[in-house]
Amino acid sequence: MEHGFTWLSGFGWREPIATAVLVSVALVAFAALLRRRTLAVVDAINPENGMTIRNVGEIAVEGLSGLAEGVLGHGHERYVPLLATLFVYILVSNLLGLVPGFSPPSGHFQMTFGLGIVTFLAYNAYGMKEHGVWKYLQHFLGPVLFIAPLMLIIELFSHSFRPISLGIRLFANMDADHKVIALFTDLTHFGIPVAFYILGTFVSVVQAFVFTILTAIYISLAVAHDH
Amino acid sequence: MFRFGTVMGVWVLLALFTGTAFAAEPAAGGGAGSVNSGMIALAAGLGLGIAAFGAALGQGRAAAAAMESIGRNPNAADRVFTPLIVALALMEALALYALVVAIILTGKIPG
Repeated sequence: MEHGFTWLSGFGWREPIATAVLVSVALVAFAALLRRRTLAVVDAINPENGMTIRNVGEIAVEGLSGLAEGVLGHGHERYVPLLATLFVYILVSNLLGLVPGFSPPSGHFQMTFGLGIVTFLAYNAYGMKEHGVWKYLQHFLGPVLFIAPLMLIIELFSHSFRPISLGIRLFANMDADHKVIALFTDLTHFGIPVAFYILGTFVSVVQAFVFTILTAIYISLAVAHDH
Repeated sequence: MFRFGTVMGVWVLLALFTGTAFAAEPAAGGGAGSVNSGMIALAAGLGLGIAAFGAALGQGRAAAAAMESIGRNPNAADRVFTPLIVALALMEALALYALVVAIILTGKIPG
């Protein structure tokens, strides 16, 4: 069962990149529009009636900031841009796969592994910025000095597995869901695939949420202080 | 902190030059005989079945604990729901690693 036609399948093997670029351009356009609408209002502290772009943006920012605060505690504001970007980008990429005629860019391991690498570099960079490079690397040696070689191997292995597991989790979920929906739409053309679309929507949202929560947890572990 | 033009320029360059990661992998070569390909297919199916069984057991226990705690304290339903979903997704991920291995194995069946 081959994949068949999508709107961007003319790009061949470059289709995931083209879809990801489409998602990025759409999100940047939405953010630019939101910024212009917010700056154009004189008293931005009063909300408007109904569902406007400003209200959607404010709900999103408040929800994501609360999510970061739940995991990171005080001092969470500096990490909100990264976490919010990860969540919104992964959510829109996943949900775009449910639209007929698109294939989710996060259904390819190359794309999700890239996001995993971003998380890996980010939490190590934040840890080094918070503690200093040498002191952060000393955390890999564990609490007691004489089991340091064993602890170093264990810590290095578990840390390097994190971006791979983040990438595989997201990629396998999205790929399997997309294939299941395609399979059942081939088998039973009407009615039954709706159940799989509901499952696909739920899994898309949950996987974006889990990716963001795990990134927040890794950051909180890296910058943890024993004040 | 960075200007808009610099960010856009870097982004366009990255998007253009990282396409080589998507070059198609060479197809798996032909195997020995039909017993070999039968074993590979059996391994793919059985491995995935065992992984799904283990994941279902673990998720059932997590869901049962969550149901009981919601039953004891219905007001805590919102605070229990989020950790429950995260735990279910983490257990699901373990079964998904087996799914990825099974997909790789079915790609290696000759013929």
